[in-house]
Amino acid sequence: MALSDVDVQKQIKHMMAFIEQEATEKAEEVDAKAEEEFNVEKGRLVQSQRVKIMEYFDRKEKQVEMQKKIQASNMLNQARLKVLKEQEEKLDKLIDETRRRLTTVTKSADKYAKLLQLLIAQGVFQLLEPHLVVRCRKEDLHLVRDAVKGALEHYTNITDRRCEIKIDEENFLSPQVAGGVEMLIPNSKIKIVNTLESRLAMITSQLLPEIRVRLFGRNPGRKFLD
Amino acid sequence: MASQTQGIQQLLAAEKKAAERVAEARKRKAKRLKQAKEEAQTEMERYRVEREKQFKQYEAMVRKISLPLLELHMGTRTDIAAKIDGETKSKISGMAKSFQNNQEEVIQFLLTLAFDIKPELHTNAKLQAKLGEPAA
Repeated sequence: MALSDVDVQKQIKHMMAFIEQEATEKAEEVDAKAEEEFNVEKGRLVQSQRVKIMEYFDRKEKQVEMQKKIQASNMLNQARLKVLKEQEEKLDKLIDETRRRLTTVTKSADKYAKLLQLLIAQGVFQLLEPHLVVRCRKEDLHLVRDAVKGALEHYTNITDRRCEIKIDEENFLSPQVAGGVEMLIPNSKIKIVNTLESRLAMITSQLLPEIRVRLFGRNPGRKFLD
Repeated sequence: MASQTQGIQQLLAAEKKAAERVAEARKRKAKRLKQAKEEAQTEMERYRVEREKQFKQYEAMVRKISLPLLELHMGTRTDIAAKIDGETKSKISGMAKSFQNNQEEVIQFLLTLAFDIKPELHTNAKLQAKLGEPAA
């Protein structure tokens, strides 16, 4: 016999309760899962974003520091160059002044005559030629004629050689030149410039390191000296 | 069998309700996940603002931006620049003094050398002469 109506109703009520129960459980599961996934997802996003932001600003801070270092280095460089430039300017002025003072010797005919003789002799010794031409300033012609004689005597005494010197009376050194001579081998391109200016130029260029030390003292920052 | 149909309908209704409840739970879940993203963003924005503030402070400290009043007096010079300027000035003045003290001596030194002429014969030519070879 089939169940009574009351029993059926009871069954149905049971089943309804069961369905409800299952739904409740399922919903709770879903909620729990939701919370868990919420935390995981939020944590993940926060972490990855935080790392990105940190790295970004760390890098920017490094850039700022780098810039500052570069700026400081540049400023230091500029400062050093400034000091060196001042040094060079003073040095150039000193050499100019020295050049101007070369004329002091030409004022004394005695001293200048001796000088000319030595300059010419030096040229003869250097060239070791039988024929030479001497060129000088127009105003020195007289002194040079005598000087040539003395120089040749000196030359022959030391070397036993002879030399014939012709003085160039057509081309002269500019009167701007402080003093001295040029000596040439005739029909040749060989020339010795033995003027006071050329001597001074050679001296200053060879002695620049020593001149700098005498003027400015030793450079404490310098590491290599040869 | 009206009771049968009624029972079945009750059951169907219960099922429907159950399904709705589960669906609602799922909707809540989706909403919660979206919240995760939103909350993460908000927090990270806050962090970013904070970190940026730190950065700006660091930047200002490194650059030593002078106050507007000082700007008028020193120009926008940082402390390093001022230090370098000071050292450079003192180096230049020291160098100028040394130059002043020594320049006359150096000029005389150079002039003496310029006027000190020593005509010399090349060593090979000297040997030639010694060995008695005929003069050129």
